[in-house]
Amino acid sequence: MDLFQLREQFSKDGIMMCFNGPFSHSIIEEMGTAIKNHLANENIARVAVQDVFAAYIEMTQNARNYLTRREIPTGDTGSATIMIAKKDDVYVVTSGNVVLREDIAELTSRVDGINALDPDSLKKEIRRQLRSELQPGALGAGIGLMEMAKRSGSGLEYSIRDIDDRFSFFTLRVQIPQV
Amino acid sequence: MRTLDIVQSQSTPQIRYDHQEHVLRISGESYPENSFEFYAPVTAWVKEHLAEENRLRLDIDVSYMNSSSTKCMLDLLDILEEAHQKGGAIDIIWRYDKDNPRSLDLAEEFKEEVSCTFSIVTLDQSR
Repeated sequence: MDLFQLREQFSKDGIMMCFNGPFSHSIIEEMGTAIKNHLANENIARVAVQDVFAAYIEMTQNARNYLTRREIPTGDTGSATIMIAKKDDVYVVTSGNVVLREDIAELTSRVDGINALDPDSLKKEIRRQLRSELQPGALGAGIGLMEMAKRSGSGLEYSIRDIDDRFSFFTLRVQIPQV
Repeated sequence: MRTLDIVQSQSTPQIRYDHQEHVLRISGESYPENSFEFYAPVTAWVKEHLAEENRLRLDIDVSYMNSSSTKCMLDLLDILEEAHQKGGAIDIIWRYDKDNPRSLDLAEEFKEEVSCTFSIVTLDQSR
């Protein structure tokens, strides 16, 4: 692995931060704080800092909760990748993790459904979900994806790459304008 | 008298009840590892408190809440609203920095969910 080449790739793509590995809650906290401090030093509106941070939190917690809930084995499969980049005046927050192939249809129809909502319907759907009963043992409220879509205003992008018969790699991307 | 005193951490707010002023203060940021576990004792405390002493002021100064914390906060507001409906002296104050419009949006959404006094206070100071 040529570190110089990696570094060149990072600067070419405007990557500010990238993490790959098992995500513990304390890593989520530490990286989150680093991201906030870093963004606070850039001369941008605080709302953009908050939105990038929020996308980062929802993505990492979603990935961690999914990997836990579905008991994805630790090691390579149990880890997640998160990246924050800046292209022109837009921040791009991307996360990737292994998903069971059997979960893909539900996951993509959920994201597609969210993308089909206009801002008003999105707000209503968030409220409806906030008001609905949780499944026993739920780790999240089921509104993280919608929350990201709301803050981004430009929808959720995703891609899927098959790994083997059992697993695929799911990548999720949101854009946050600098304002 | 019941006490409630949860120390602030990087991802969890400080939550403390002030006996003298009958105020429950929540301040900091909220994105716990498991929001439901984190807020369960708070919800339980509020229920017990209201059963004994039918009054409470909730003073919130939280700059960021993740989505599951939002759900927990709404559950808390529902409990206060129920007490208010039964004649309890309930009021809620939500403080937010003027350069943090997301916090104002959230406050306004929460305000729509209750009929008790809900004041939104702007803090004009960068922190």
